[in-house]
Amino acid sequence: MPGGSVSISVRGARRVYPVKGGTDLIALDDVDLTVPAGSFVSVIGPSGCGKSTLLRLVAGLEDADRGDVRVCGVRPAEAAAAKMLGLVPQAPALLPWLTVLKNVTLPLRVNRAASRRRASAPGPSMEELLRKAGLQDAMHKLPSQLSGGMQQRTAIVRAFGLRPDVLLMDEPFSALDEFTRESLQEQLLDLWDELKATVLFVTHSVSEAVRLSDKIVVMAPRPGRITDIIDVHLPRPRGAELLKTPEFHHYEDLVRDRLRGAFQANAA
Amino acid sequence: MNAAEDVLTVTEPEPELIVAPPVRRPMWRPGLGFLHPRMWLPLVLMLAVLATLWTWGAHSMPYLLPPLGDIGDTLREDADYYVNNAWVTLKEALMGLGLGLVAAFVLAVITSEFPLARRAIMPVAVILNVTPLVAIAPALVVAFGFGAAPKLIVTGLICFFPILINTSMGLRAVPQPVLQVYRTVNASRLETLWYIRIPMAMPYLFAALRIVFPLSVVGAVVAELSAAGSSEGLGTAISLASSMNRLAAVYASIAILALLGSVLLLLVTALERRVLHWHESRQGNGG
Ligand SMILES: Nc1ncnc2c1ncn2[C@@H]1O[C@H](COP(=O)(O)OP(=O)(O)OP(=O)(O)O)[C@@H](O)[C@H]1O
Ligand SMILES: [Mg+2]
Repeated sequence: MPGGSVSISVRGARRVYPVKGGTDLIALDDVDLTVPAGSFVSVIGPSGCGKSTLLRLVAGLEDADRGDVRVCGVRPAEAAAAKMLGLVPQAPALLPWLTVLKNVTLPLRVNRAASRRRASAPGPSMEELLRKAGLQDAMHKLPSQLSGGMQQRTAIVRAFGLRPDVLLMDEPFSALDEFTRESLQEQLLDLWDELKATVLFVTHSVSEAVRLSDKIVVMAPRPGRITDIIDVHLPRPRGAELLKTPEFHHYEDLVRDRLRGAFQANAA
Repeated sequence: MNAAEDVLTVTEPEPELIVAPPVRRPMWRPGLGFLHPRMWLPLVLMLAVLATLWTWGAHSMPYLLPPLGDIGDTLREDADYYVNNAWVTLKEALMGLGLGLVAAFVLAVITSEFPLARRAIMPVAVILNVTPLVAIAPALVVAFGFGAAPKLIVTGLICFFPILINTSMGLRAVPQPVLQVYRTVNASRLETLWYIRIPMAMPYLFAALRIVFPLSVVGAVVAELSAAGSSEGLGTAISLASSMNRLAAVYASIAILALLGSVLLLLVTALERRVLHWHESRQGNGG
């Protein structure tokens, strides 16, 4: 990963969903976004403002109707073919017949040509990653035997285990209780710190966005667009104590303020 | 054109309409719990009641029901005859089942991978399914003679449809987020099919197999009954015995058929427990 370069670049992206017998739905309109390599960027905004759509464009799951999306300089489909991407959806999306270990290694076993070409830099093995995520005892269990938090951690290890250049996460913690959520945030930051991927992270939680991100992208709906980009200058590592500091609250208030703007734009 | 469209909509049924949904409780759990009287006593009592009723019925209507003792006698005396014929019927049933299974599975993969193929194949399969097989069987006998061929075809046809519908539904039951995860690593279609879709379809396949295993015996017997010139099989034994008014022999054959069906059901249950251990464990967890 070339240092100081751009990892994700979205230029004038527009995505329209046709609506039967109505005006078409503009999920994204003229969206510009630049994510520097190695940074952690969150996307926040009211429901239906196009956060997931933006993520799907970057993941190459859908094509923009207009504009240009690049991941590390190439089109998303090429990035996927070269296994530069990792995706963590909202549901853990584990395969119920595979153990945790087999679940996290399956993505390595498909599209092997790309795996070989990447010949990944020496780093922690899957077993080590699972241990780091506190899943050492769950390795040979089936997903149905795990708690929701453990399943979500498995999904995160599955994505990190690919050693992707870009990690795309769509509300990965939204189904978890607050304490589980906070401890997973911490583990996510640890993994990210070690493996140095670029992260694009969709969330509904203001404090989650502030804690995790270098940059917070605020979006508004109808049409889906970016209304604000807030840089977060908080020191890392960001442990649990940080959550109580006035600086942290300052950023929370700031994001909440801008979000209110996005909601009002929605009502207007 | 419109009629074809209608048939098409019929081909996207809810799972419950065709067979039981794949999430089901195991019939019984492994262990020695069945030794407890609470487990076997109700059944034993029920059987005793039925036997009593039967004996009473056989006594008051001897032309309708043979005494149980007579059935036992013919089974004992002509044991070889029944074993041979049961073996013939079982072979027909299993081979027909295998035929239907392979054909249905291959077509399920094709129809779930290629929507165009689905539109061509599914309506035909539906029409085939609603055509009474009892009516097709004699035509097949005319075409293929009294050998094994028509029996395998009838059995195969009976087993075909539930397997096709369920498997093709299971192959397409993979949740969208799972597909998205594997699309972002560019898993090929074949990889997705092999690693994800086919395992996902297994519970659906087994839901169909639980119905179709016992049903295969029905197919074999129906075919035997419609081929009046057949020389072997329990269906042939039944038509022979009933033409000679030997009620005990008829019911002896029927009893063996019931036994065959139960054994097949046991077999598929055991198979399912091996293949779908992950699926059962999900139920154990209530998650
Ligand atoms: N495949 C689709 N077909 C039609 N409309 C769609 C499709 N996907 C998304 N939309 C619409 O596009 C808009 C943006 O959807 P998107 O899922 O990106 O929102 P979101 O910001 O992720 O919302 P949430 O926070 O609820 O997940 C929504 O109004 C949604 O209804
Ligand atoms: Mg979303």
